[in-house]
Amino acid sequence: KRHRTENIDIEERLEKLILKVGDKSSASLESNLEGLAAVLEHDIANYKTKIIRILCDVVIGYPDKMTVYTTLVGLLNAKNYTCGGEFIEILVRDLKDVLKACEFEKARYMILFLADLVNCHVVSASSLLSLYDNFIEVCLEDNIPQTRSDWYVHTVLYTLPWVGKELFLNKENEFNKLLVSIQSYLGKRSKTHLHALKVWSSDSPHVQEDRLDCMWAQIKHLQSNAWTERLIRRPYLAFESALQDALQHTLPNIIPPSHHEDALYPLPVVVFRMFDYTDVPDETTVLPGSHSIERFIIDEQLHLTLLLNQYERKDCAATLLMFKEEKIPLNYMIIETVFAQMFRLPNPPTVEIFYHSLILELCKLQPSTMPIVLVQATEMLFSRLDSMNTVCIERFVNWLSYHLSNFQFKWTWEDWSEVLKMDPMAPKAMFVRELLTKCLWLSYHKRIVEMCPDEFASILPAEPRPKFRYHAPDDEIETETMPELMYSLRLTKSIKAKCTPEDVLDFLKEIPNPLDDSVEHTHNPLAIDVFVQTLLNLGAKSFSHSFAAIAKFNKVFKELGSSDEGQQCILKSMYDLWSDHQQMMLVLVNKMMKTNLLSVSAVANWIFSEEMMRDFTRFYVWDTLHASIRKMNKQVNQLQLEVEEMKDKKEEAANKVNDGLDVDENVPTEDDIEALEEKLDTAQSDQKNLFLIIFQRFIMMLSNHIANSETHGQEVNTLWFKWALDRLRQVFLQHHSVVRQYNNTLETLMFTSDIDFHILTVFNEFQALRG
Amino acid sequence: SRTQQEEKLKASTTLYVGNLSFYTTEEQIWELFSRGGDVKRIIMGLDKHKRTPCGFCFVEYYDRADAENCMRYVNGTRLDDRIVRTDWDAGFVEGRQFGRG
Repeated sequence: KRHRTENIDIEERLEKLILKVGDKSSASLESNLEGLAAVLEHDIANYKTKIIRILCDVVIGYPDKMTVYTTLVGLLNAKNYTCGGEFIEILVRDLKDVLKACEFEKARYMILFLADLVNCHVVSASSLLSLYDNFIEVCLEDNIPQTRSDWYVHTVLYTLPWVGKELFLNKENEFNKLLVSIQSYLGKRSKTHLHALKVWSSDSPHVQEDRLDCMWAQIKHLQSNAWTERLIRRPYLAFESALQDALQHTLPNIIPPSHHEDALYPLPVVVFRMFDYTDVPDETTVLPGSHSIERFIIDEQLHLTLLLNQYERKDCAATLLMFKEEKIPLNYMIIETVFAQMFRLPNPPTVEIFYHSLILELCKLQPSTMPIVLVQATEMLFSRLDSMNTVCIERFVNWLSYHLSNFQFKWTWEDWSEVLKMDPMAPKAMFVRELLTKCLWLSYHKRIVEMCPDEFASILPAEPRPKFRYHAPDDEIETETMPELMYSLRLTKSIKAKCTPEDVLDFLKEIPNPLDDSVEHTHNPLAIDVFVQTLLNLGAKSFSHSFAAIAKFNKVFKELGSSDEGQQCILKSMYDLWSDHQQMMLVLVNKMMKTNLLSVSAVANWIFSEEMMRDFTRFYVWDTLHASIRKMNKQVNQLQLEVEEMKDKKEEAANKVNDGLDVDENVPTEDDIEALEEKLDTAQSDQKNLFLIIFQRFIMMLSNHIANSETHGQEVNTLWFKWALDRLRQVFLQHHSVVRQYNNTLETLMFTSDIDFHILTVFNEFQALRG
Repeated sequence: SRTQQEEKLKASTTLYVGNLSFYTTEEQIWELFSRGGDVKRIIMGLDKHKRTPCGFCFVEYYDRADAENCMRYVNGTRLDDRIVRTDWDAGFVEGRQFGRG
C-alpha cells in the first residue's frame, strides 16, 4: 500500500513539473527543458503510461505553450525512440476520437502539434504531407457543406507558419502540389455567406475578407519570404544538435471521418480590421500589413490569449500586455482583437460583458496609453456607423454605455453634435440616442441631462415616468361625469383596501364592453385598460413593486389574457403607460412571458403591430423579441434534456432487472415518458410557430414597404428599410441552429421565388452559412 | 452546518451585492446585472428603521451560469461611481433585506 501512494506522489510531481515548464522562471527555458527531459527519461521505465497521458493532455490544455511541449517531446524522443512512438500513437488515437466527436477546436490543436513535431525531428515531413493530402481530398467530396472542406483546408493552412519551411526544404515538389490544390479550392468557394457576417457592409477603408482568403494571402507572403518569419518562439532551435540525429516516426494513415447530417462544422469567419499603419501615431512602431504573416501570428496569439483566459479578466489583460514584441503597436493590436471578438457575427466567442470588463482592466494596467487608443477606436467606429451591421451597433452601444458608466460618463459629447441635424433614423443619430438611453438605464435622468450639452435636448431620452390615463381631477363632481375615471378610482380604492383577485374580476365584469355588442367578444378592452393601467400605475415605484402587483393579481391577468386579443390589449395598455420607460417595458414583458401571463407569440405579434411601429427601430423592442425567442428555445432544450434523462433512467433500471438487481422505486414508466414527449412536441411546435410568425410578419411588412415605394416612385432602400432588413437578418443569424431545422418549410412556403430579392437575399445568405 | 452551507453556495443562483450608493436604484442594478444574463429578481437591502436603501442588495438569476458571469466580470467594476462587490449568497430569506442601518 505504501508503495502505491509513493507512485501517486511521483506521478503528481511529474505532472506539476510538466505543467510548469515554459512559465516564468529564474532559469532559462532551455535549461528547464533539458532538466525536465532528463527527469522524464529517468522515470519513463516506471511511469510511461502516465507521462504519455500528461503530455497528450497538455496538447489541448496548453496550446499557448505548444512549441515548448513539442520541444520536450522531441528531446524525449531523441533519448527514447519507442517512447516517442508511443506518444504519437496515443495522440493520433485521441485525434481520431475528437474528429469523430466533431470537436474541431481540439483537433486543430492536435494537428498543429503533430506538424510542429516535424520541426523537432519526431514526425517525418513526408508522413505529415500524406496526412494533409488526405485532408485536402475532402474538397473533392460531393454533397458536403462548404464548412466541412473549409475546416480541413483552414487547419492545414493554419500549421504552415510553423512547419512550412521544413516541408519546403524536405519535400518541395509534394508541398507545392498541396499548395496548388488549396489554391484551386479557394478559387471555387462560394462567398454568399460573406455579407451576412461582415461588421461593415462597405469595404472602405478596410476590406472585410473571408478568413480563408486572408490567410491564403498571408501564407503567400510567408512563401515569398522563403517560409521565414521571426515571431514564433521556437525553443527546439536551441537543441538542434540533440535533435538532428533522432529517428523520425511515420504518422499512421489518418482519414477524415465521413460527413454525416449531425456534424456541425465551425461557421465561416470574416476577418475584422479596424486599424492600419497610418492610424498609429508612434513612429517607432509599425502595424504589420493585413496580409503579412506577422499580423497573422500576433493576431492568433492574442485571440488564443482571450480564449484561454476568458474566465479571468485580470490575468487576461496582464497576459495580453506581456507580449514584448519590439516595434509592434501592441495596444492597437490588442484593442483590434478585443473588438474583433466582441463584434464577431453571428455571436461573439464569449459573453459581451467579458470584453467590456477586460477593456476596463487594460485601461487600469496602462492608464497613460490605453485610453488614448480606445478614444481613437471609438471615434473610428462612430465615423463608420453608416455601414455598420445593426447587431454590431447594438454591441457598440452596450459596451460604450458600460464603459462610460465606469468613467463618470465623461465624454466630449459636443464632438457628436452633427447627429442633431440628422434624420433620427440615420445610424449615427440612432446610435447616440440608444447610447444615451442605455446610459440612462445605468444612471438616472438628471445625470444624463447634466452630462450632455444643452443642444442635445432633442435627442435625450424622455424622463421615465408613467403616463397614467385615469388621473382623477381634484373636482369630484367632474370625476363622476367620466365613468372611466370612476372605474379606475374605485379599483384603486379596492386594491389599496387589499381586495382579492376575485373581487377585482367581479368588479371588472361591471364595466361595459365598448366593442360592438352584436357579436360575442373574447375580451373587454376597456376593462383591461382600466385594470392594467391602474394596477401598474400603483406599482410604478420600482420593478419589484410592479412584480408584486402582477403576482398578486396573476389570476386576473390570466383571465383577461385568455385570448390572443386580450393579450394584445394588455400589451397595448402597458405600452401606453410605460412608453417613456423602455426598460420597464422590457422588464415587465419579460417577466410576464416567464410567468406565462403572455405567450411568446403574442409578444411577437405585438411588436409588429400598428401601435408599435413608432418604436420599431428602437433597440429595446429587439431585446424584447430576442428574449421571447430565447425563452422558447430554452424551454425546448430543457424538455429535450428531461426526456433523455428519463429514458436513460428507465434503461438503467431495465438493465439492473436483467442483472437480477434491485431497482429504486422511482423508475419512469412508458406513460411518463410519453407524457413528457407530448409536452416536448407541443413546445417544439410552439417554437416553430413563433419563428413562422416572426418571418411572416417581416415578409408582409417589408413587401408592403417595397410595393408602396414602387407605386409612389420612391426609393426602396430607405433608412428604415435598412434597419428592418438587418433585424430580419439578425433573427436568422442569432438563432441559426434552431432556424435551420425549418429550412424546408421556409424555402417552400415563405421565402419563395416570387418574394422580392432584397428579402430573399437575406434568406439565401443564411442558408449559405452552413452551406 | 458548514458543509451544507458550502454546498448551497456552490449551487446558488443568488449574489450578494455590496458597496452600493444609498441612492442607487433597483433599475440601475437591474441593467448592470442583466449584462451577465436573465435576472429573476432584485431585493434591495433596507435600513431596519428607516426602510430606505442602505447600500446592498441581492440579485437572483434564473441560471447559475449567468450569476457566474457577473461574479467574473461585473464584480469590482463601477455603478454610480462606486466599485460594486459581489459574493455568492446561499439564497434570499425574507427578513434578510434589513441591514443594520
